[in-house]
Amino acid sequence: MTEVVPLKGHYVNKEPFDPGATEPAGNESESFYRASSWRLMWWKFRRHKVAVAAAAILLAFYLLIPFVEVIAPYNQTKRNGDFIYAPPQPVHLMHEGRFVGPFVYPYKFSFDLENFQRVYTTDTSKPEPIRFFCRGDYYEFWGLVTWNVHLFCPPQNGTLFLLGTDRLGRDMFSRIVYGARISLTIGIVGIAVSFTLGLLFGGLAGYLGGWVDHVIQRMIEILRSLPELPLWLALSAALPANWSPILVFFGITIILGLLDWPGLARAVRSKLLSLREEDFVRAAELMGASKGRIIARHLIPNFMSHLIASATLAIPSMILGETALSFLGLGLRPPVTSWGVLLNEAQNLAAVQLHPWLLFPIVPVVIVVLAFNFMGDGLRDAADPYH
Amino acid sequence: MILFLLRRFVTMLVTLLIISALVFLIIKLPPGDFLTNQIAELRAQGEADAAAKAEFLIKQYGLDKPVWQQYLVWLGAMPGQNGFSGLLQGDWGWSFEYDRPVTEVVGDSLWLTLVVNIAVVIFIHLISIPIAIYSATRQYSVGDYIATFIGYIGLATPSFLLALILLYYFNRWFGISIGGLFDARFAGQPWTWAKIQSLLAHLIVPTLVIGLAGTAAMIRRMRANLLDELGKQYYVTAKAKGLAPSRALLKYPFRMSLNPFIADIGNLLPHLVSGSVLVSLVLSLPTVGPILLSALKSQDQFLAGFILMFVAVLTVLGMLVSDLLLAWLDPRIRMGGGR
Amino acid sequence: MMSMLPRLKAGLLALLLACPVLPALAADYAEQPYFAEKVARKELPPVSERVPRTPYVSEQASGQYGGDIVTLVARARDIRYISTYAYSRLVGYDRDLELRPDILEKYEDEDDRVFTFTIREGHRWSDGHPFTAEDFRYYWEDIALNKDLSPAGVPEFMMVGGKPAKFEVLDERTVRYTFDKPNPRFLPYLAGPVDPAIYRPAHYLKQFHAKYADKAKLDEAAKAQKLKSWAALHNRMDDMKEHTNPDEPVLQAWRVTNRAPANRFVFERNPYYHRVDTHGHQLPYVDRIIMDVSSGGLFAAKANAGEVDLLFRGISMSDIPILKQGEKAHDYTTLLWPYARGSELALYPDLNAKDPVWRALNRDVRYRRALSLAIDRRTLNNVFLFGLGIEGNNTVMEQSPLSFPGLRTLNATYDPAEASRLLDAIGLSKRNAAGTRLLPDGREMEIIVETDGEASHIVDALTLIGEFWREIGVRLFVKPQDRTVLRNRAFAGLTNMVAGQGFDNAVPTAIMPPTEYAPMRQDNYAWPQWGQYVETKGKNGEPVDIPEAQRLLDLYTIWMNTANHGVQRDVWTEMLRNHAENQWSIGTVAGALQPIVVRNGLKGLPAKALYSWEPTALIGIYRIDEMYWTKAALKEARR
Repeated sequence: MTEVVPLKGHYVNKEPFDPGATEPAGNESESFYRASSWRLMWWKFRRHKVAVAAAAILLAFYLLIPFVEVIAPYNQTKRNGDFIYAPPQPVHLMHEGRFVGPFVYPYKFSFDLENFQRVYTTDTSKPEPIRFFCRGDYYEFWGLVTWNVHLFCPPQNGTLFLLGTDRLGRDMFSRIVYGARISLTIGIVGIAVSFTLGLLFGGLAGYLGGWVDHVIQRMIEILRSLPELPLWLALSAALPANWSPILVFFGITIILGLLDWPGLARAVRSKLLSLREEDFVRAAELMGASKGRIIARHLIPNFMSHLIASATLAIPSMILGETALSFLGLGLRPPVTSWGVLLNEAQNLAAVQLHPWLLFPIVPVVIVVLAFNFMGDGLRDAADPYH
Repeated sequence: MILFLLRRFVTMLVTLLIISALVFLIIKLPPGDFLTNQIAELRAQGEADAAAKAEFLIKQYGLDKPVWQQYLVWLGAMPGQNGFSGLLQGDWGWSFEYDRPVTEVVGDSLWLTLVVNIAVVIFIHLISIPIAIYSATRQYSVGDYIATFIGYIGLATPSFLLALILLYYFNRWFGISIGGLFDARFAGQPWTWAKIQSLLAHLIVPTLVIGLAGTAAMIRRMRANLLDELGKQYYVTAKAKGLAPSRALLKYPFRMSLNPFIADIGNLLPHLVSGSVLVSLVLSLPTVGPILLSALKSQDQFLAGFILMFVAVLTVLGMLVSDLLLAWLDPRIRMGGGR
Repeated sequence: MMSMLPRLKAGLLALLLACPVLPALAADYAEQPYFAEKVARKELPPVSERVPRTPYVSEQASGQYGGDIVTLVARARDIRYISTYAYSRLVGYDRDLELRPDILEKYEDEDDRVFTFTIREGHRWSDGHPFTAEDFRYYWEDIALNKDLSPAGVPEFMMVGGKPAKFEVLDERTVRYTFDKPNPRFLPYLAGPVDPAIYRPAHYLKQFHAKYADKAKLDEAAKAQKLKSWAALHNRMDDMKEHTNPDEPVLQAWRVTNRAPANRFVFERNPYYHRVDTHGHQLPYVDRIIMDVSSGGLFAAKANAGEVDLLFRGISMSDIPILKQGEKAHDYTTLLWPYARGSELALYPDLNAKDPVWRALNRDVRYRRALSLAIDRRTLNNVFLFGLGIEGNNTVMEQSPLSFPGLRTLNATYDPAEASRLLDAIGLSKRNAAGTRLLPDGREMEIIVETDGEASHIVDALTLIGEFWREIGVRLFVKPQDRTVLRNRAFAGLTNMVAGQGFDNAVPTAIMPPTEYAPMRQDNYAWPQWGQYVETKGKNGEPVDIPEAQRLLDLYTIWMNTANHGVQRDVWTEMLRNHAENQWSIGTVAGALQPIVVRNGLKGLPAKALYSWEPTALIGIYRIDEMYWTKAALKEARR
């Protein structure tokens, strides 16, 4: 046995070299090699801390959607004529040095005729505690059951306007919570539409090739050359004005999805084109698998991860698109509440100057859009685990 | 090369043709049209002679003919009341709402739209390239995080609200008058230095707002590309051989990572134009956006059609330019290799 | 305040009032600095030769020359409102809403049947050409009676019983219109917010008329401008309503100097304007009016930032807080004038609805009264008008001489118990599990209220009304529509109830025609078919078949056929009472405040006055040509 002599940081093993020998895999690398692609993706995703946090936030948001009625302290239509454009009531814990629990100070409304301003004077002598798990306004839970249990309610005979009120005296916080349901759903439904179309057309183009590919490619090119917003405007203006709010909602999501599928389709197509030549596809063909089975069982799972990443990155533009359309008055309209509709009501300078709390719906929009972006980034990085 | 050019050109023409058909279809989707709507309103107000004029206009522009015929007349492929007079002949139509030719209505706002969009493109490149280089070379530093963070905020905030807020604060802090592209007193005046200064001051808010979202995306991509290139062998070799780091950076990886951006100019334009429409509405800029919105709402079809076509042509041209640039830069595309 | 003078025979009074008060003014006028150069270069005659020999003398006007007034318009087309703001009419209303000759020197009115107009001697158009009876003749014979230029014929207000007036030129300065039967709406129409302009600049327009110029050349010129014929070209050039032709001479205080498309329209003073003050100044005081085109949503913001001198059209009560906020920093004042409208929001049950159940209900007066009694107008007042409005019917304002006590509140108090009782009495006492009443055919009683979707506060108000009606078991569904779709649906009888604004003219006097209050127009959503029937003279629509509504038509005919102002006043009173009793339209709150932004230093507008489209022509009757800048304000650099 010769000595191992470290030579200036280089290590040279003097043993005879046997090319046929392999190193036994340790436990870790064993599981690494045996893991399915989904598991690999998950591990890689997990390392991207920000993306995980974003995903957690989004999950929280979406899980709350079924329970908006319980979370909002007021129901959707409750308005208070005595508290119009009331400023936000901050929540305090300490009253005159003592710990009282979460409470708000009540305020009173008076009208300054000289300056035509509404004046709210806070009364800091009487803390009014917030009630939890209490009975408050009635609402229809999922349209089925009339209930009135809320997560937290305004104090007895008091008001709890965490984010102030709007021009009819409706609580902004409650409206934002109710609006979350519509805004978040539009993103998902719109993506579903564009996903389906993208998969369909991209798949056909990629797999069948030939003139089908050619025609679909031209379609994609044309749709991508059209500027988004003007087309959204045109299509929204074409929605009949006498449709019910639900129909308008679906119309808007379909419009948003219709103009978005080309991006997805191109990605699908190019992926399919490269995968088509792979050996495993040839093997499947030789073994007699039908075209459908090949596409569904072999091809699609291979680039699903990329698709999901792209789709996730497309959702924010849908949410922003709905916001833009509602802002212009072409999307959803009251009584449907979405963040876009709320922002529409804040679109003049009076809102910025006199009642800045009306602009608060921006915050959840920004959070959700950022979260989707970060999560999508993480997914995209993780999508190719073998890279 | 010539063959490539020719092929691209022909494809572009075909694309434009199909786009024109789509645009026309979409505009005609809502029931009725401007004139028929107006007639009912005029009759109700007892203005019978104005109603007669509207009826005359309907005949003149063939609005009582089937849609496909109207489309062909608009294009200039079929003769209308006064012979061939459509887009192909350079007659861009009549605006019913403004009661004058479309060219007169749109005139100034077209090139103002171009000015705004070009300013935004320049802004995006000027800002995002240095930031991206800084981010890539000093990865995970504080500066990197701050830059990316600001970029993301710009990406996520609805642009029109940002425009409104900035409008208010710029007026408070800098006294820039609200709305418009220059102070009202310069309207209709010849271009003096003062007017140009006013124009630049008013361009700040729209450029910032429209550009912010694009900046974020560009920073991200540039940074990712640069990081890719920075890991490559030739860069390490260049540094090892003693080339100053900044020179090495600019001469090699930077040029490589620019590739996608040239390609992207084509993509940038449609996003910019659509982004600028919304912001123009809020800021009351005399660009094409507000005119388009009101034309769509009132079904002033020739005006809306022309603006949509203009925007589409801008986009397609942009894509052509970027394709050409790319072909010039990257020989592989010229030779037809790769998919 | 309104004058309570009993009206004498109109002719006598008009003669008396028309004479200039101080004959001493005939000679000495001060030249305007704006024209000093032109006069020196002999491009303009001196002011004493430009003013008519017998100008209109305004006794309350008192100011100095100079300055511009900057205001805003939402679209380029809106510059046509200059004729409403500047309010130069043959006869016009003064601040007390009395008719006075303005452009005319005097007029004689015999039984509202024969009208004799006399033009001021030496009155010229803005280009210097004399204004004579020829301009009236040209309009009547060559425009109104010309089949090419007026295919619809003579305007409606110049016809009585289907027959047009008889027109004659008595001399160079006098014309006469004779009607077979009394036409009491003739003069009020001439004093309306939009000038019907029965005179035109003949010397300018003749070059575009086939009778006086070469028809072939005219047709060619027309084609060059993409117009159908010489008639279209003439109509394009003859543009006293839209003000798109800077070359056309005018008689009002300012004339437009540039064409569309533009973002800034400049109106320059008319050197031959016919009004003067008692100190030797030819009006107007202000040299130019400048209208900047800007997006409507930015009006309040721009006013708040101090970018306008005068602004009223395009801002409303909800903008008042932000307008008030900028006053100190940007040196302007926000005047708050009561808006004279019948009601800020009125509900019009469609009496011509096609659906048989709703048709029967809408026609039942108890139903309409019940809906009216169920509205909590106090809450609406507090929420939308800061509690400063007037709750009650869609009717005339208290300042009108025709108003009487109780008119506002008849059937318009808040009494949900009585409302419920009335609905039960009709037979709608069955309710379903949710408490909503059921119609006779078993459907839920859900009223679909359609509205012009543009105004968001109307949708808000309807939301509140929906809550009030829920208390009595009626459901309300708001359906915003596009305006033209709404109109067409109403005309076709497809609407159940429409929400809109109340009466336009809410401060009428006895001499103003009660057209809005009778079923004569199809744009009134309560009776579109009846209105259509009258407008098309029986060809379309349905005839009135409710006796109370027919009474309104009969009353209108009485008003039309008399020249006795006492009788006209009685007609008005009965019509107003008829509306309050029958609730043809259900009013809610009136008396919104219209903010008027005036820069400090610009004087002339009263601190508080009635504002309305008709009859005050927005601020027309308060005479913008008598507004002036103080010396201190003039010293600052004007824009």
